[in-house]
Amino acid sequence: MKILKYTFALLLCATLSSCSSDDDSNSEDLTGQTGTLTLKFDNGVGDQDFIFGTSYNKSSAESYKLETLKYIISNVRVKDENGNTFTYPSADNVFIVDEAESNNAGEIYIDLDNVDAANYTEITFGLGIDQDRYALGAEGQGNFLTQAEAAGMMWSWATGYRFMRFDGTFSSATVTDEALNIHMGSVGTSLDNYREITLQFPNTVRVRETTTPQVHIVADIAKVFDGETSVELSNGYSQVHTDATTTTVIANNFQNAFSVHHVHNE
Amino acid sequence: MKDFQNTKTILLILAIISFTNSYSCDLCGCTTSSGSASFGDLQMTSFVGLRYIYQTYESKNGIFDNSPTSEEQFNTYQLWARVPLGKSFYVSAILPFQDLSRKFQGNTESINGVGDMTLIGWYNLKIYKSNSENKEAIDFSTNKELTGHSFNFGLGVKAPTGKFEEELTDRVNPGFQVGTGSWDAIATVMYNYGNNNLGLNTTFAYYLKSENKNEYRFGNQFSVSSNLFYKLKTKKMDISPFVGISGDVYDSIEQYGETLADTNGHLYNCSLGSEFNLKDFQLGLQYTLPIHQDFFGGNVEAKNRFSVYLNYKL
Repeated sequence: MKILKYTFALLLCATLSSCSSDDDSNSEDLTGQTGTLTLKFDNGVGDQDFIFGTSYNKSSAESYKLETLKYIISNVRVKDENGNTFTYPSADNVFIVDEAESNNAGEIYIDLDNVDAANYTEITFGLGIDQDRYALGAEGQGNFLTQAEAAGMMWSWATGYRFMRFDGTFSSATVTDEALNIHMGSVGTSLDNYREITLQFPNTVRVRETTTPQVHIVADIAKVFDGETSVELSNGYSQVHTDATTTTVIANNFQNAFSVHHVHNE
Repeated sequence: MKDFQNTKTILLILAIISFTNSYSCDLCGCTTSSGSASFGDLQMTSFVGLRYIYQTYESKNGIFDNSPTSEEQFNTYQLWARVPLGKSFYVSAILPFQDLSRKFQGNTESINGVGDMTLIGWYNLKIYKSNSENKEAIDFSTNKELTGHSFNFGLGVKAPTGKFEEELTDRVNPGFQVGTGSWDAIATVMYNYGNNNLGLNTTFAYYLKSENKNEYRFGNQFSVSSNLFYKLKTKKMDISPFVGISGDVYDSIEQYGETLADTNGHLYNCSLGSEFNLKDFQLGLQYTLPIHQDFFGGNVEAKNRFSVYLNYKL
């Protein structure tokens, strides 16, 4: 029976030793330490990875195909386990997520440098451009204005930014391959379609000088058309530009299309 | 006749256990260095030898149903041995060399190196026939007739002799590693039965995995495997064809003390093979086919496995 005793002793040791290292992580001093946080945007349609030119079915017996899929993300900030918020420097805190620039796994990377080292539990980001940034005027936009113009993400300065561009065609019971252009944005200062999204991380995101955690964010494009509101493309939603009603519906739908699938700490 | 009935009962129990629990795979490179493919040969001989295990997996490289897949090939070369220490004790050891590669959209990447070593100390308990009136009693004293039943109790460790690369954990298949980087405890019980022409080996093993220096901990693992073999004696050699079933159940992986979603799983296999005993040498062939599996949220699929070993009997 000695053998049994040894067995338990060994198992106990292994169990204890595997627990013990948790204690020192809380006392880790992170003052002054910064690291990089990578956001991986991944566009999908339901459980399918989004692919250009693929026909996707939606409600109302309609389907759509896209050749352009991009949107603006801004004001990224993360909250740590103690409730402190780190906001990425404002001037650089605006990005275009363009499916055409995705890697072979269909992911678009945004690297946030010099993020305070901490254990983060939550992320908030904006979809589009908020009124404060717009109020800075054309000169206050820095390089982003040029970048947005080149990407076709601007109407005129007076009208402002296009927060998204979904360009392609749609088909319904009555039409085949009609033009589809969803260019939702705010309209000057008269219509505010900027939305914010807050998502909890499924696991703690540990930013350190030596580790670059990745947050895998999924945008379910199907929800843009069939989200909070199901829209009919053949009934006013094939061309969405500056109309107060349709742009607001699309903005609200898109706001709820995001989720964090998983995080990697490495 | 009594023996035959015992065997039947035991077989039935094992069949039930094997279907309700599971055992077997060495999942992938690192988590695989032992378990599935058993710690030794069928006949429980003492040996030193070489074993080669070839496994393939298909992993999804992305999170969607239509994400592209990569194909992973695991070549494991093992130096393995079972060495007796006195009458009732023996030691089994496995030192693997891993050569893993993965093909994705025309690109191939490889990692290779020494894997994690496994060392197990065993105590062998033979069951003797009872000579008392009470047929149910089991007498442990010596100088008795053997029943053919025996138990082996093993305790061991898996040492982090292989390299664990944290960067690779970003893969859909976290098992694409030559080592886990952790010290793991192994507790195992083996039941053997053999008569003149039939034999049965059943192994239960529990792997208690510890956290490695990257605060990454592979899930604890429970394995069961059972092989039934037939001894065919010819003039030149003994041939032992066998069939087996096995199963492995894995707990979730933990990192920084937090559970990672979709990292648990199970795998049930059936296998078919034969062992050839010729004088001092022993040759074994085994083909293993998954029957049912669910790994890493269905993102990793184990394909069939092939192993071959050549041992020199001590």
